[in-house]
Amino acid sequence: MMLAAFADPVFDSQRTFRALLQAMARPAAPRALPVLPPSPAPIAPAAMAIVLTLCDATTSVWLQQPEDEAVHHVRFHAGLKLVEQPQQADFALITDPMSMPPLEAFALGAPRYPDRSASVIVQATAIHSLPCVQAEAGRGVHVLASAQDGATPPQPPPASRGGSTFAGADICASRGGGTFVGPGIRDTQTVAIDGLPADFWHQRAALAAQLPLGIDLFFVAGQHVLALPRTTRLLEG
Amino acid sequence: MTYNFAFLDEDTKRMLRRALLKAVAIPGYQVPFGSREMPLPYGWGTGGIQVTAALLGPDDVLKVIDQGADDTTNAVNIRRFFSRVAAVATTEHTAEATLIQTRHRIPETSLREDQILVFQVPEPEPLRTLEPREAETRTLHALADYGLMHVKLYEDIAQYGHIATSYDYPVLVDGRFLTSPSPIPKFDNPKLDRSPALMLFGAGREKRLYAIPPYTHVESLAFDDHPFEIQRWEHQCELCGSGESYLDEVIVDDRGTRMFVCSDTDFCSGRRAEAQA
Amino acid sequence: MYVAVKGGEQAIARSLELLAQAQRGDTAVPELELAQIREQLRLGVARVMQEGSLYDENLSALAIRQAAGDMLEAIFLLRAYRTTLPRFGYTLPLNTAAMRVRRRVSGTFKDIPGGQVLGPTYDYTQRLLDFEHAPVASVTPADAPLPPDMPRVLDLLDAEALIERIEPGSDPEPVDLTREPLTFPADRATRLQNLSRGDEGFLLSMAYSTQRGYAESHPFAGEIRMGEVDVRVCPEELGFAIEIGSIVLTECQMINQFHGGNGVPPQFTRGYGLSMGEGERKAMSMALVDRALRCDELAEPDDAPAQDQEFVLSHSDNVEASGFVQHLKLPHYVDFQAELSLLRTLAAQHATPSPVQQGRESFEVPTA
Repeated sequence: MMLAAFADPVFDSQRTFRALLQAMARPAAPRALPVLPPSPAPIAPAAMAIVLTLCDATTSVWLQQPEDEAVHHVRFHAGLKLVEQPQQADFALITDPMSMPPLEAFALGAPRYPDRSASVIVQATAIHSLPCVQAEAGRGVHVLASAQDGATPPQPPPASRGGSTFAGADICASRGGGTFVGPGIRDTQTVAIDGLPADFWHQRAALAAQLPLGIDLFFVAGQHVLALPRTTRLLEG
Repeated sequence: MTYNFAFLDEDTKRMLRRALLKAVAIPGYQVPFGSREMPLPYGWGTGGIQVTAALLGPDDVLKVIDQGADDTTNAVNIRRFFSRVAAVATTEHTAEATLIQTRHRIPETSLREDQILVFQVPEPEPLRTLEPREAETRTLHALADYGLMHVKLYEDIAQYGHIATSYDYPVLVDGRFLTSPSPIPKFDNPKLDRSPALMLFGAGREKRLYAIPPYTHVESLAFDDHPFEIQRWEHQCELCGSGESYLDEVIVDDRGTRMFVCSDTDFCSGRRAEAQA
Repeated sequence: MYVAVKGGEQAIARSLELLAQAQRGDTAVPELELAQIREQLRLGVARVMQEGSLYDENLSALAIRQAAGDMLEAIFLLRAYRTTLPRFGYTLPLNTAAMRVRRRVSGTFKDIPGGQVLGPTYDYTQRLLDFEHAPVASVTPADAPLPPDMPRVLDLLDAEALIERIEPGSDPEPVDLTREPLTFPADRATRLQNLSRGDEGFLLSMAYSTQRGYAESHPFAGEIRMGEVDVRVCPEELGFAIEIGSIVLTECQMINQFHGGNGVPPQFTRGYGLSMGEGERKAMSMALVDRALRCDELAEPDDAPAQDQEFVLSHSDNVEASGFVQHLKLPHYVDFQAELSLLRTLAAQHATPSPVQQGRESFEVPTA
C-alpha cells in the first residue's frame, strides 16, 4: 500500500523549511524537524521531510539506493526527476553513507553560478552535539538522535542514552566530526556525526580550495537535521 | 477562486526556498530565481514580499517597515497584503516580531537569533552603476575582482576628501562577495556585521536573492587612511531625545525651520513610553 | 507642533474609495459590459493578452475595465493573476502554416499563391474622425472562399535555397521565462519569448531605430498573416496529440539581406515576430528587433542599441519598467537625509578646500 506524504502539505513544508533555513544559517547545530512523514526504506523519515519540502518536478534528484518502493513513492508524492549520475543532481540522497560516492562526484557549481551545485542529504547513524562552545572535561555530549532509537529528544547532559557518555571536543573528533567555524557560527560549534566513511572529512576539506564552489550538506538522524554549507570549516585538532 | 496561503503557489514557494538555502550557503552571492509577478508593482518590494511569502507560517508575527516607520503607506500596504492572503499576526514592535520586512532601514533595537530580517532590494548588483552589464559583473564576482569599486571609492577620496557614498554603501561579506546592503544609510552598515539574526535580501524585478547568515563578518569597504565612518547628527530626536538613532529631518514651517526625529518610529515611541512610565 | 506622521492605513482606505468612484465615473452613464469591451475594443484586448501573457479575452476585458483603460495597468493585473495559475501541461508547437488566414500580405512579391488578403485593417482608412458613426454596412461576400491553408511566403523562397533554413525541431527546448530568471547571453528562443512579452511601444522604437541606421538590417516584410491556429497538446496518458481549441495570432516574417559571414553563405535571413490576436505593429517590431539581436550569430557589427541583448531584453518589460520608474514616488526620506548630510559636508569643504583636494594631482589610483 502507498504511504502518505505530509498530512498538511502547505504548513508541514513551511515549518520544515524554517527548520532547514535555520539549520543552514546556523551550521553544525542540530535541530529537530517539526514533522516526520511516512517513508519507505531505505529513506529515513527526516530525509523524506527534506525531499518533500524542497523537491518537485523541476529538481533533479539522485538516489543512492533507488529501490522500487522508494522510487515510486518520491515520484508519486513529489513528481521528482530522478537522474542516473550524481553529477546531474540538484539534490542527492545518501541512504548508505559508508558506500557513498566521493564528494567531488557531485556538482560544485560554476564560477559565475556557484549556486548551481548539489545539496546532499546524508542519513547518518547518529548526531552528537556539544551544547557548550568550549568543551569542558567531564561535560557530557548530547546524543541527539540515532537511527536505532529513532527520534530522541535532546537529553540533558550528562546523557548516556544510545551509547556511552563522551567528554569534550576530542571525543567528537574521534567519532567523526569536531569543532566547526564559519558564517552562521558565533564562536565555534562542536558536533560528531556517526556513520560516515573514514576519509569523509578529508574529502570535504579538499573541496574548500574551490570555494565559492562547493556542495552543501544536510545530515539527518532520527528527528534531527544538521547542515554544513560549503563555508563551514572544520578546525584542525 | 481563492489564493493559496501567502498568495504564492507551493511550486513557487519551493523554488524560492531552494534559492534561499543556496543564498545562505554562499553568503553575499546573488542567486538568480524565477521571480513571479506579484500583485504589487516591481520596485515596490516584490522581492521582499516573495521572500516573506516563502517564509511565512501561521506562528509568525510580521512587522513591515519602510524608512524605519511602520505607518508609511507602502509598509501599510504590504502588511495589509499579508493580513489578507495569510491572515498572519502583525505588530509594530520590533521585539515582538519573528519576521521583519524592511525597506531602507535596519531597526535600532538589536535583533535576536529567533528573528529574520527581510530586505527589499531595488538593485542587487553593487557594481551595476560602474558596469551595467550582468554578463560582465558576474565574471567580476567569479574572479573576486573588485578593482572597479576600489577605484571608484578612491576617486571619491581624491575628489572630495572622503568617500561620497551615503547609502547603499558596498560591503564585503565573509571576505568574499561584494554585496549591496540595499539602500540603507551607511549608518546601518555596522548592524550587518555579526548580526544574531539571519538577513535575507530579495530583488524581485532583478530576480536575485542573497543572504547574510548570522554571525558573519560584513566589512564596509574603506582604506587604511580613510576608515569607514557613519553619519552623525549635531541634533537629538526632538520627540524622544535619542542621540544614537538615525534621524529624519522635517521641515515644520514655511520659513524652513527644521526639526529632527527618529526614523525608527517603534524605537522612538518605545523610548517616549519609557520616559513617561 | 509636529507629530510623527500616522494614518497611512486610513489614507489608503480613503484613496481606494476615491479610486472606485473615479473608475465608475458618472453613474448616470451605464457601466461598460465586458462583452462590449471584448467585442468593440478587440485590439486593446489583444494587446493586454499578449503582454499579459495570457490568452483569455474575457479576463483581458475585465482587466481593461478595472484599469479604466490604462493598458499597462491592465497588463499588470493580468500578469499578477496569471502568476499563480498551475501548469496543467505544455502545448505542442503551433503550426502557423495551417492558419485559417483572415489577413495575409507580403511586401516582397506582387502575387503569391493564395493571394494577398487585406482582411480587416486600418491600413487604408483615411483617419477621418467618424462623427456620424454610420451603422455597420453588411460585408460583401467574397468572390471565392479563401483556400483552407496558404503556404508561407518564406517557404516558397526556401525551395530556391535563397533563405536561411530553420530545420523543424532544431531549436533547443525553450525555458519558461515566467518561471526561470533571464540570464545572459540569452539564446534566440529565450530572446523571442522576452520580446513577445515586451512593451509594444519600446519594441516599436527599437525597431524604428534599426531602420534609421542604428543596425543596418535592410528588411522586407516577407509575410504578415493573421488568423486562427489550432492549439494541440499531447497528454502523456494518451500518447497522441489532441486539439484543445484555437487562438487568433498575427505572425510576421521579415526577410533581411545578408552578405555572408561567420561561415554562413550570402542569403536572406529571417526575423520573426508573433503576437496574440490582431497585433500587427507588435509582430513587425518584434521581427525587426529579433533580427537585430542576431548580430553575434551572424558576425555583424554590434554597436547599435537594438543589437545589445542585455540592453533590449532588460528594458523591454513594461510591468518591470513601470514599477521601477514609479517607485520613485515612494518615500526615500532616509536616503535623501543621507545625501543631504553628505552634500552639506561637501559644500562646507568646497568653501574651505582641504589639503587633500589641493594635493589631488599627486594621487595615484591603487590597484586592488
